[in-house]
Amino acid sequence: MKLKSVYKVPNGKLLKIFMDYDAEGNLIKDISITGDFFAYPEEAVELLEKKLRGARVDRDVLFSRINSVIEENDIEFIGLNVEGLTKAIMLCVYHE
Amino acid sequence: MSERWRFLLTPGKTAFENMAIDWAVLKANSTGSVPPTVRFYTWNPSAISIGYFQSLEEEVDLDMCKKLGVDYVRRITGGGAVYHEHELTYSIVIPESHPVIPRNILKSYDRICGALIKGLRYLGINARYAPINDILVGGKKISGNAQTRKSKVVLQHGTVLLDVDVDKMFSLLRVPSEKIRDKLISDVKQRVTSIKHVLGREMSFEEVADAMKKGFEEEFNVELVEGCLTKGELEDSKSFEKNYFSSYEWNHKK
Repeated sequence: MKLKSVYKVPNGKLLKIFMDYDAEGNLIKDISITGDFFAYPEEAVELLEKKLRGARVDRDVLFSRINSVIEENDIEFIGLNVEGLTKAIMLCVYHE
Repeated sequence: MSERWRFLLTPGKTAFENMAIDWAVLKANSTGSVPPTVRFYTWNPSAISIGYFQSLEEEVDLDMCKKLGVDYVRRITGGGAVYHEHELTYSIVIPESHPVIPRNILKSYDRICGALIKGLRYLGINARYAPINDILVGGKKISGNAQTRKSKVVLQHGTVLLDVDVDKMFSLLRVPSEKIRDKLISDVKQRVTSIKHVLGREMSFEEVADAMKKGFEEEFNVELVEGCLTKGELEDSKSFEKNYFSSYEWNHKK
């Protein structure tokens, strides 16, 4: 199932997430993180997308998975943060 | 005696050439084959650039681009979509380790934007840096900026608006719905300005370039010495243009 969310990060930039969703397993099949934010290094976002494949769409699971990729790879976001990214991904499935 | 940096004036290039040159200069600087470099340029034909992480079709009306003869290109820097028409575009390429560049990324935006703010002052315009990546005059945006760091080199490029046509801009950029198009356009008209609007008269690219050059020299206490691209840079920029910026795969990758 193809899903999309649009989320303005508080004090940050506009995130648009495109997700290929496995509804039966509540899993991310594939994800594209897009928007007008900054990330250093830029390749980090592709790595994040890769690491999110197969992840369960659950706030805590996503938050800790994103957080560990960021810490392990020394990634710096500007106009975006782990909370905002988690929230935007959750919004693809849960529209509240 | 102040440090000498290279200064490049390359008006009238295509979007693909412009983005390829910025990357080629970054690469050349990372190997130590060229000094810190400031370049001023324009876009011919006019073009939209989108941020590295943006979705092309989500942000840009490709049919309208084709109809109006406007090119589009994905940048290697993050940030938003920009319609480049009546503007001076600058780029600066400098090692991360250079003493004038703060390690902190936001502080380095602030510092580099300081050069443009000093340049605007030479035109009689009072501007200020507004994080993350804007320069404002009277609360309205006159300049947008985007920075990447690769191979221990900083590349920042950005715009100084000479004039702005918000209606044309929004015929090329996609908006969420037709319903809010008019509201959005009037909002953006309230939030965007240009040298022409602030001064009430037109300024040529050359006049603005002179002022901005002085702004960079003053901010960084350097002398900008006019030069040209090296043979290596020209070769790299041809290859980046062909393999990245003019390719379908690159521009449509998101």
